[in-house]
Amino acid sequence: MTAWLVRGVQLVLLASLAGLWETASRLGWVDPKLLPPLTQIVGVLFTLLQDDRFRGDLLITLGEIAAALAVVGPLGFAAGFFLGEHRALYRALSPALHLLLAIPKSIFLPIFIFAFGIGFLQKLVFAVTLAFFIVVLNGIAAAQSVPAGLVTAARSFGATRGQIYLRIYLPAMEPLILEGLRMALIFTITGVLLAEMYGAPRGIGRLIFAWGEMFRMPELFAGVLLIVAVTIAANELIRFIEDIRRSRRRGF
Amino acid sequence: MRVRRLTVRLAILLLVLAVWESAYRAGLLSPIIFAAPSLILSAAVKDGWTFLSAFRVTMFEIAMAILIAWSVGIAFGVVAGVWPILARICAPILSALIAVPLVVLYPVLLAWLGLGPTSKIVFGTISGIFPIALNTLVGVQSIDRGYAVMAAAMGASRRQIMFQVMAPLALPAIVSGLRLGTALIVIGVVLSEMLASTDGIGFWISYHRGIFNTGQVYLGILLALVAAGIANAALSLIERAYSHRTGDDANP
Amino acid sequence: MSIAASARPEKGDIITAEHVSKVFGSGTQALRALVDVTFSVREGQFVTIVGPSGCGKSTLLLILAGLVPASSGRVLVDGQPVSGPSPEKISVMFQDAWLLPWKTAIENVEFPLTLRKVPAAVRRPRAMSLLDLVGLARSADRYPGELSGGMKQRVAIARCLVQEPRVLLMDEPFAALDEQNRTRMGNELLRIWERTGRTVVFVTHGLTEAIYLADRVFVMGVRPGRIIESFSVELPRPRSIDMIGSESFGRLRNRIWHLIGEERG
Repeated sequence: MTAWLVRGVQLVLLASLAGLWETASRLGWVDPKLLPPLTQIVGVLFTLLQDDRFRGDLLITLGEIAAALAVVGPLGFAAGFFLGEHRALYRALSPALHLLLAIPKSIFLPIFIFAFGIGFLQKLVFAVTLAFFIVVLNGIAAAQSVPAGLVTAARSFGATRGQIYLRIYLPAMEPLILEGLRMALIFTITGVLLAEMYGAPRGIGRLIFAWGEMFRMPELFAGVLLIVAVTIAANELIRFIEDIRRSRRRGF
Repeated sequence: MRVRRLTVRLAILLLVLAVWESAYRAGLLSPIIFAAPSLILSAAVKDGWTFLSAFRVTMFEIAMAILIAWSVGIAFGVVAGVWPILARICAPILSALIAVPLVVLYPVLLAWLGLGPTSKIVFGTISGIFPIALNTLVGVQSIDRGYAVMAAAMGASRRQIMFQVMAPLALPAIVSGLRLGTALIVIGVVLSEMLASTDGIGFWISYHRGIFNTGQVYLGILLALVAAGIANAALSLIERAYSHRTGDDANP
Repeated sequence: MSIAASARPEKGDIITAEHVSKVFGSGTQALRALVDVTFSVREGQFVTIVGPSGCGKSTLLLILAGLVPASSGRVLVDGQPVSGPSPEKISVMFQDAWLLPWKTAIENVEFPLTLRKVPAAVRRPRAMSLLDLVGLARSADRYPGELSGGMKQRVAIARCLVQEPRVLLMDEPFAALDEQNRTRMGNELLRIWERTGRTVVFVTHGLTEAIYLADRVFVMGVRPGRIIESFSVELPRPRSIDMIGSESFGRLRNRIWHLIGEERG
């Protein structure tokens, strides 16, 4: 079976699911109040995207995600990288690290509300906490993935520390950095949305939760559709970049 | 020695509790955010029974979700594992879906299924099913076909090959998928209870958060961790009973 | 030294291949792995098949075992055409022992009988005596993870014998072992063969091994895969290592070596 055939089947599958959704809702096979037609949902979404208030909520959520990423990315990766380079320290901290990783941090959400309220800061801190340990682990793996032989060889050519970091470490760690970015994105998005749904003045998470409570299904589905589309797109974009970079690297 | 390690861990735990309590008494930590062992204890005394019956509700929801997620996830993974075409079609779709923060689907479930245990069971199932299916799929795909050839040469029927040769070979991968999936199920159930429900550990956590009973909140979180620990321990038991029979090279 | 055997199955021939061909793929992409392979093996003989890589000797073995269908021609085992695996008549052994990691050595030996639902009281003593035959009676309760490569192959041999087949097909079973172990296992195999009187078809790419073990050596060529020639090995049994240095051994080895060399081109 060629790749094109597989792609074709996937598209047909998705198209038929969409078609089924639309038909079932329009013909009343399912209660259209519970499952609005797909076209109606898309229509509502377009309307929402032109609404200032909705766009404001969207911006706030995106802002929280971006801020969390900007904090947890460099911080977590640097910490992980440091641990990866200093094996003794890593060995000492490893059990504690794995313990903290194993504990599900999302259920501590109420504590974060006690500490930081329900504003922007709380979302930021919560999302950072959720993503932090994954990024640290990723940083450790990245540091360890650099072949020691390459570093030794570079040093024997008289390369400076800076040159080694720039020309050997960075390219070597690139695949793991990209994957770490992808993981961090997934965790920060989940954290922000969860925190918003639990309690927030503004934000997409709060919006869709409220819409659900009010049984405003078309709006709810529009919001869900938007989030699903954006998260999948972002994830696939990074995957795409990873693939391109991997095929360029070839055998490294 | 295992006993020694256990006592060391216990000693560390007691030390942490002592430091925690003294910091609280000395007024070093904000009691709202950090609580204290004594607060948790008094919360247990005061609301212990409520929490225990809530624990039962939560464990029921978890058990149901585990039942569905394990059986559907493994079944799908096995079927996709033996039909490479199915795997090729589904795998990209599944791994794209992993990017979606499942929590956004929860308001839809609430609208459809109400505040009761059903929405929690469904949400828990969705939370855990992906890693189970994917790990099972990979486990089945990575079985060395030579084992099947060898068994066929011995005159084994297709059924015998599948159940007596392939299944045990795929088991380690399946178990690791179950481990991850089960952890996600527990968290999913508790979080969904926290967001909106009528009973269960998560419900009472949220209730006491609303009235700033930090002791009860921490008690609830503790019970949630216990629930996760129980599920994990049960899985370890199954794994240990099984790998007891293998040699060194069966467990990578 | 005689030339390729005739196609007509004679009495006492346990395996006969008649004009066996195997083609993979079709059209311009077709790969002719085997073309018009014809030979027969007398019951009780130890026969080796040797040839350069890619000559299709493993494919031939799989066809003899009934695990892969021939594109044309047929294989007769004990007068019956082969259409699928027949474990009571033929046992196959590969380079990888593929012992089930969660079963002990003796459980692995019993496995073919377990599949047939033979009761434990019957299969256990049989498996045990075979483990004893291969010298691993004491390791009966060990797991494959605890056994060395050579030991695992010996368990595999015992497993092959547990259903009391007439023929043992072996596809480079000792290729993964180091030289010393390989020689030792070769001698072990000969000892077991003499004790049990089965027919053995042994595929290898090692010339010395092929001549040392065999009554007859079939030399295969490549592109397309076929039998170029076969030789009788007139060395006395039981074989011993110093026969390898003998003149007749050397002469035969050189002849086969040149044959294969010409084939490789």
